[in-house]
Amino acid sequence: MAFNVKTALLKPALKLAMERSGHGRQLGIDITHVSGGHVRLAYSYDPQAVGNPLTGVIHGGVILSLLDICCGCAAMTAMQELSIAPTIDLRLDYMQPAKPEKPVLASGNVYRTTSSVIFCRGSAWQDDEDDPIAHCVATFMRLSAPQMSIGSVIRTGIQGLFPAGKDRG
Amino acid sequence: MSEETDAQNVSESLHKVRQVEFEAALEAALNCASPNDVMKLIPYSGFIGAQASVVDGRARYWLDARVSNIGNPSLPAIHGGVIGGFLELSVLVELLFCLETSAFPKVIDFSLDYLRPARYQTLYAHCQILRQGKQVVNAAATAWQDDIKTPVATARGHFLIH
Repeated sequence: MAFNVKTALLKPALKLAMERSGHGRQLGIDITHVSGGHVRLAYSYDPQAVGNPLTGVIHGGVILSLLDICCGCAAMTAMQELSIAPTIDLRLDYMQPAKPEKPVLASGNVYRTTSSVIFCRGSAWQDDEDDPIAHCVATFMRLSAPQMSIGSVIRTGIQGLFPAGKDRG
Repeated sequence: MSEETDAQNVSESLHKVRQVEFEAALEAALNCASPNDVMKLIPYSGFIGAQASVVDGRARYWLDARVSNIGNPSLPAIHGGVIGGFLELSVLVELLFCLETSAFPKVIDFSLDYLRPARYQTLYAHCQILRQGKQVVNAAATAWQDDIKTPVATARGHFLIH
């Protein structure tokens, strides 16, 4: 495959936009793999994000965020021109509770792209990819509005690294 | 072998202590009819900054605008995962608040429709329990910002309650 500037910049661009700003930063995710239509990430256990205080299992919302990020990034990489892909809907099935104190890995895959919609599948697991804790299907809008470009996200992300005011979060 | 059994006994008794503490705290919260006290029992509520109160005899949940909840910084808009997590948490609190069950509900599936971008301002939600079976509950939630008639997202899910 010939060297392509877009694919070469994809991983650092997404890492900067997703890991360093907003909720990705709050979660503390690590994007481990980016290729056209396929993204993987890792998340380490955080006691602040526990959903069941009796067992210490992390809240389903964390898994939902991880899979939304994974599938959303996969959708962005599947487009000709790199831009933001807003979620239309997402369905999440929880197969088993996540084990406490263990990292969660997630992957998102694009399985169909049309002129206006991108279809994705994602799964999250801990020890074994074939024994998932959750599985999701999600659809994303294909947008190419200039204010949605990845460049503007990165610019805002960089500004977020050096906040002028006090972080309210 | 004895070390293993000891560790197991310790973890079991710890779980029992937690269960008793949790049930006492839940009962206290229910006696005060305070969904916010139920919300505070779940650490994830602090992670995203979700709160609850009773408005017109019905539990209402809200999420203050926080930098750490932003998904798309260029708009800025609230992260879709945070909206989903907030709605899932709201349904969970609604179930603990409204159903007389000591078992902690487990989510089976959760389905979200994103209708509009959620702007960087307070997000409100309310929930509805649509059907309560012996084992499974079906519940729905709606999130809005300025006007309840223009929802930002709707969700529907199943929870195991035995």
